[in-house]
Amino acid sequence: MLILKQLFFGLLLPAVVTGGILVFARSVASKEEGESTGKETDISRGWLIAGALSAGYIVGYFGLEGFSTLPFPPRQGIHWLCCLAIIGFIAGCFWHFSLSGRLIAQIVLSIAIPRLLLNSTFKYTWGQLEGIIWWVCLAAAIFIFWNLVQQSFTILPSGASVPFVYFGLSGGTALVLALSGSLRLAQHSGILVALFAVSWIITIALRRDSNWQVFPRGVSPVVALLLAGIWMNGYFYEEVPAVSAILLAISLLLAQVGQIEAIRRRGTRQSALIQIVAIALPVVIAIGIAVARSGLFGENSDY
Amino acid sequence: MKTDLGRTRQISHIGGLVLTLLIICFTGSIQLADAADTYEIDTAHSMILFRAKHSGVSYNYGRFNEFTGKLMIDETDISKSTVAFEVKTASVDTANEKRDQHLRSSDFFSAKQFPVITFKSTKVSMKDGKEDMLEITGDLELLGVKKSITVDVEITGKAKGRQGEPLIGFESIFTIKRSEFGMTYGAGAVSDDIRLIVTIEAKGK
Repeated sequence: MLILKQLFFGLLLPAVVTGGILVFARSVASKEEGESTGKETDISRGWLIAGALSAGYIVGYFGLEGFSTLPFPPRQGIHWLCCLAIIGFIAGCFWHFSLSGRLIAQIVLSIAIPRLLLNSTFKYTWGQLEGIIWWVCLAAAIFIFWNLVQQSFTILPSGASVPFVYFGLSGGTALVLALSGSLRLAQHSGILVALFAVSWIITIALRRDSNWQVFPRGVSPVVALLLAGIWMNGYFYEEVPAVSAILLAISLLLAQVGQIEAIRRRGTRQSALIQIVAIALPVVIAIGIAVARSGLFGENSDY
Repeated sequence: MKTDLGRTRQISHIGGLVLTLLIICFTGSIQLADAADTYEIDTAHSMILFRAKHSGVSYNYGRFNEFTGKLMIDETDISKSTVAFEVKTASVDTANEKRDQHLRSSDFFSAKQFPVITFKSTKVSMKDGKEDMLEITGDLELLGVKKSITVDVEITGKAKGRQGEPLIGFESIFTIKRSEFGMTYGAGAVSDDIRLIVTIEAKGK
């Protein structure tokens, strides 16, 4: 009964909410495509799709955590995830603004989020200098990762391959977290799995051409902030192995193999396949390391 | 000659005053020590156990291996006594390493985010006029949530230690709801009611 409840609130309900908004966004885009320029369509779809992912995650968050579990200011790292979904959505609404405005928002959020989310670690674990070094490194890492997310929306040749890659990445994250002993955080990553799965299915079902971009740039704040938030929680507050966390975070970098001329010449399908395999490789290694560390097949594996 | 005598009298007056002050201070300090004795928890002879029901079937017990605490006991006016505890969440021990790892995660105690559980008394009183029963109200902070709780505490014994130091023993059994502190994970598998059994031996300083 408990598992059914978790599956309903953690997977099915978020998928239905996101799916519903995505279908609506696609129908709006279809109407606008006939009337206006491509840029305007991208803008309206940007905030709608950011809203779809955000709303799906928030529904899943409250479904798993309960309605009374969002104190302000958030006490636990996990509480911040709900706030990151909201912040990501707000940022996504204004993502079509000037490049400099986008850059400032990206820098400010990359600096602020590690300080807010890791407040306990700053307080109890790190000294002043150590804290500053970690802070700078994490802010830089979030900024770079965010750009990788933005790039991945355009660098992956087929529209459907984008949500599929994130489906695999969040699925790998959920597995690593579960193997590291944090089932609660794994469930939060599971919400993302459901959201990207439904995005992938809808992209395949509703696309007219293979190059239809399912995730416009405005979606990047939601995706980047939620994934970064889950990884930071996993590494700093749970027992996720450092190598696994790093491999998950850099996996998107390997989408760049699609830029190699020899791979680009192979055509859309083959090129997308090679990119997906390249991204999947570090994710699989990260899972393997988590399996080895978990003692899954040893004594006390079940309690 | 007269002046010398005067000076001697003056000195003796001052000496007497100093002596009186010293006596007052000395007896005063003794009275103060009697009024509020400071005790530190002897962790080797103390235990903090907890009990949770698993899947609505059986009671599972666990303990915290590391904790510290200070007691100020005022025998003359018990309401002036104070109690303070600090329990390290990472020291949770249920005799199953895998389960302990899970309990340390953010599913339960979130040991890296909240390294300690604290308790600070706000009111100490005698329970039903019995000398060996206390009622302690205080703030229990778990997972960053501070809640006022009131517990009954039995004074289980008083004695002198090997070096003549005063010893005092307490026991308190009470129940908290973990959900009230934001610990909601695994609601069907692990009961919301957690019984705590705190048994303390404290040494006077």
